[in-house]
Amino acid sequence: MSNSHNGYKRVSGDAVEYEVFARKARVDPLHLVGSVVAPDADLAMAYARATYDEERWCEMAIVRKEDVIRLWSPGES
Amino acid sequence: MPTSAEFDQMIKSGELIESPGEMTPEYLRELKHTLIVSGDTELISAPAYYLAAKRAPSINAFMTGIAIIQDELAHAHIAYHILEELGEDQEKLIFSRDPKSFRYPYAFDVPLESWTELVVANGFYDQAGFCLLGDIHDKCSYGPWKRGLNKVMLEENFHLRNGRTWMKRISAAGGSAKDELQQAVDWMFPLSVEWFGLPDSMKMHSTQLDYRLKGLTNDQLRQWWLSTVVPYCEQIGVKVPAHKETRDGKDVWELDYPFPCEFDAEHKRWDFKKPITWDDVLARWRARGPRNAEMVAMFQEEFHNFRKTHKRES
Repeated sequence: MSNSHNGYKRVSGDAVEYEVFARKARVDPLHLVGSVVAPDADLAMAYARATYDEERWCEMAIVRKEDVIRLWSPGES
Repeated sequence: MPTSAEFDQMIKSGELIESPGEMTPEYLRELKHTLIVSGDTELISAPAYYLAAKRAPSINAFMTGIAIIQDELAHAHIAYHILEELGEDQEKLIFSRDPKSFRYPYAFDVPLESWTELVVANGFYDQAGFCLLGDIHDKCSYGPWKRGLNKVMLEENFHLRNGRTWMKRISAAGGSAKDELQQAVDWMFPLSVEWFGLPDSMKMHSTQLDYRLKGLTNDQLRQWWLSTVVPYCEQIGVKVPAHKETRDGKDVWELDYPFPCEFDAEHKRWDFKKPITWDDVLARWRARGPRNAEMVAMFQEEFHNFRKTHKRES
């Protein structure tokens, strides 16, 4: 279940959301391809690799969603 | 929260909705409902395909089957995670719901029992998924889902190609292999036609269309499916009970049997001599089919075993 602090409950314990970024070719910019919920970064990497395998990405990175500092978002200009 | 008029204006302008704060409660309810159907459908295809993939004729074929199942689980994850962001409890949705309350198409409740039936499912059911999700990918007003479907569309295309390639190969083999293929098509084709739901003549108004959660009506989606499946089957020498007609200069796909009609799930047989009403169909769907409980138990049982053995303090 989600709460206001980006935390999730899983049967295995508390988990947080990680945003998954990737790019296919070197000329492409890194872009958001999805997200995973995991108890730690190691598992989050495993989930990201297994879940977002639709392309042969040349780069993939994850970041804890709560570490993203948003200046503004859609609907709050 | 926007006023109802502001929200309607946003939907009409073609703008994407990005967060719950930009929705009306009615839109949120309809979006959740649509996502549950999508997540449940992707999720249940995993056990349905797995039980048939075990009959794969080679290690390579089995690995393709397993890769498809892995894709389907990732697609389910996308839908359920969006639901989670909208305030639903993902674990409850997947692991604590009554099997009969899952909202996937009835077709998956009829056991796929051979590799041949699995590849016809890839050719027919994944084509149905491709039409439904392709339409949503194209038209959906909810940004996170529209973007999440990029991956889904790429992969459904691969499932479809697996289905078509194998159907062609089995048909070309002839003999008993081709007979088995024709038998699978005979029961699976009408089930896929039913997949798209009530005809437009009986369903005049769709909130999903108003909210741009989809762009095409049930009949338009059914026609799209028929326009891809019927010519392909004819091309590879498989008989299907539908044909093309030209009306007002436009191609229309007509079924050669009364729609809807009686289906015997136990023996996987349609009785084209027994037309039924849509109320009868809805009653069959609600009662669910032969494999519903078994498939849901496949992913629910282990979760509860795990919870018993790893009691968490909270």
